[in-house]
Amino acid sequence: MNRLFVRRNQSAACVVGHALIRVWALLFCSSLGVLAQSTAAPVSASAPFSIRATHLLGLENTKSNCNGTLSIQDNALQFQHGSKPGSQVKIASIQAVFLGGESKQVGGVPMKLGKAAAPFGSGRVVSLFAHKKYDIVTLEYVDSNGGLHGAIFQLSKGQGELVTDELVARGVPSSSDEDKPTKQSTAEVRYENK
Amino acid sequence: MKTSRRYSSIICVAAIVAITVVFPSRLPAQTAAVKPSGVNGDSARQWSVQVHGIDPGDIELAYSFQVAIYENLLEELNKTKQFKQVFRDGDRKANEVPNLLVLKTTVEKYTPGDETRRAVTTVSGATKLTVRSQLLTREGKIVLERTVNGDVRFFGSNLRATHNLDRNIAKAIKQSRWDVG
Repeated sequence: MNRLFVRRNQSAACVVGHALIRVWALLFCSSLGVLAQSTAAPVSASAPFSIRATHLLGLENTKSNCNGTLSIQDNALQFQHGSKPGSQVKIASIQAVFLGGESKQVGGVPMKLGKAAAPFGSGRVVSLFAHKKYDIVTLEYVDSNGGLHGAIFQLSKGQGELVTDELVARGVPSSSDEDKPTKQSTAEVRYENK
Repeated sequence: MKTSRRYSSIICVAAIVAITVVFPSRLPAQTAAVKPSGVNGDSARQWSVQVHGIDPGDIELAYSFQVAIYENLLEELNKTKQFKQVFRDGDRKANEVPNLLVLKTTVEKYTPGDETRRAVTTVSGATKLTVRSQLLTREGKIVLERTVNGDVRFFGSNLRATHNLDRNIAKAIKQSRWDVG
């Protein structure tokens, strides 16, 4: 009986202890969350932002359809391909940012050749599944002479919004709803600098 | 003797067919080269051109397509070496150039395609673009007007249609003769 009583006392103490630990852990996590939220805003406004992207066309001194890193740092947008110095666009010169989407076949030329060589047209079945959705970010900017330029980047799905949001946060004014086209055939969203 | 005659007649017929096939294609080419009207070739190189931004008109054309048409057009016009200088829209340097033409491009028709549909079916999913290209003087006089098509039917992304379109525009300008005076 005594032993049983002692045991019960011990388990009650354990329960209380566990409960205290849980409450403490909950408070600790929530305080961490609050800390993260309070520090996140100033970091995103000034910290360098970089993301993997494919330059489709438009940037000067950069090959079309080349992979690289798209970064935003010190009021300039930069695309760097490999170890070469990247081409830069001042954020102040960017007039508009557009976000769109497109579905593309993956695998490039080797995949195309493989599909063409596959017997009984089975390559077509592969094409049904070998596609991926991408975000297309389009920039309109002006050079020092006032000449209009355009640049198009392809990013993984969901990352295009990060780039446009970052540009908006860095001073490229976002458009209001009335600037957006009423119907968007390719689901493009426009952020225009008026 | 009979077989040799038959062979010779066959050779004669083949020669006649060959001549009729080859010469009609040569003759118009020769006459076209002699035509001395309008501006083309070396005389066009005295002119510079300013490419205006793409006017989508009433068509709901994706911004990426508009930018791609504009950028590819600049590249293709530079490639043809038809003009002394090719200026961008809004370029202040173009104001100082004496012989300047303006290239306006208006989208007339756009059929959105699908790369996956093209890859699976081959016959459907083509992206098609039709634009009206106008070459104007500073005063607004239309020097050349052409309706040009561009599409991607089999291989390549949808944006490739803009590349094909711009190549056709540059080709149309190069092959056409226009009268500025």
